[in-house]
Amino acid sequence: MPDGLDGERLERFVHGDQAAFESLFRQFEHEVYRWIVRIVRDRAAADDVLVEAFWRAYRGRARFDPSRSFGAWMRRIATNAALDHLRAARAHAGWRSADDTMPAPAGPDQALHESIAQAFRRLPPKLQVVATLALVEEQPYAEIADALDLPIGTIKSRVFRATRLLRKELARLGITP
Amino acid sequence: MTDDQLLSQLLQKALPSVDAPRPPADLWPVVVQRAAAHEKVSAADLGVAAIIATMLLMFPQWFWFLAYHL
Repeated sequence: MPDGLDGERLERFVHGDQAAFESLFRQFEHEVYRWIVRIVRDRAAADDVLVEAFWRAYRGRARFDPSRSFGAWMRRIATNAALDHLRAARAHAGWRSADDTMPAPAGPDQALHESIAQAFRRLPPKLQVVATLALVEEQPYAEIADALDLPIGTIKSRVFRATRLLRKELARLGITP
Repeated sequence: MTDDQLLSQLLQKALPSVDAPRPPADLWPVVVQRAAAHEKVSAADLGVAAIIATMLLMFPQWFWFLAYHL
């Protein structure tokens, strides 16, 4: 088994066994939570996204192939749940609340950092997720592609588009990296 | 340093990582609650289903009207 999990536990999960689901939750919650926090960058939102991700996994358990990696499957679900959270946050509250969730950087460059963070939050969510993982978290393209279930070429193209949009926005603010 | 690396560095400073290695509380009960809430058929759902079934028995010609609107 790819995650070192026993196939019987995964089979039981697929058939709706709640004890098997709980043991998978206990085993993977920290790893999935850290991944979500990297994307949404907000602890409170990460709690909600974690619950949503595991709920989606349980709901879609019949589609899981027990011979594949549960961790990778869970990460894909979590990435999509985080993406949906970013979309909803953007549609619901606009930029102000997104900025509120950001930890304020201290020091003399605070205004500059806030402008950059704002420009970043203006990216469309699907570009924002890819840019966060590639440019901020420096995750390998292959890992991002796997988490989003997309070809590497699509990830590269999204990083390129995100970079271009960011440079444009930063130039508008008078910042030239 | 390339332009992309510079941009990456700027972003890392502007968007510091959030230190949260684990959820602050046990979220398993919330997941269970969520699953239970979705699996439970509410009284309102049963009521609507009963009304629709009654209407279809009384007025079978309304089938296509209801199929279009529901």
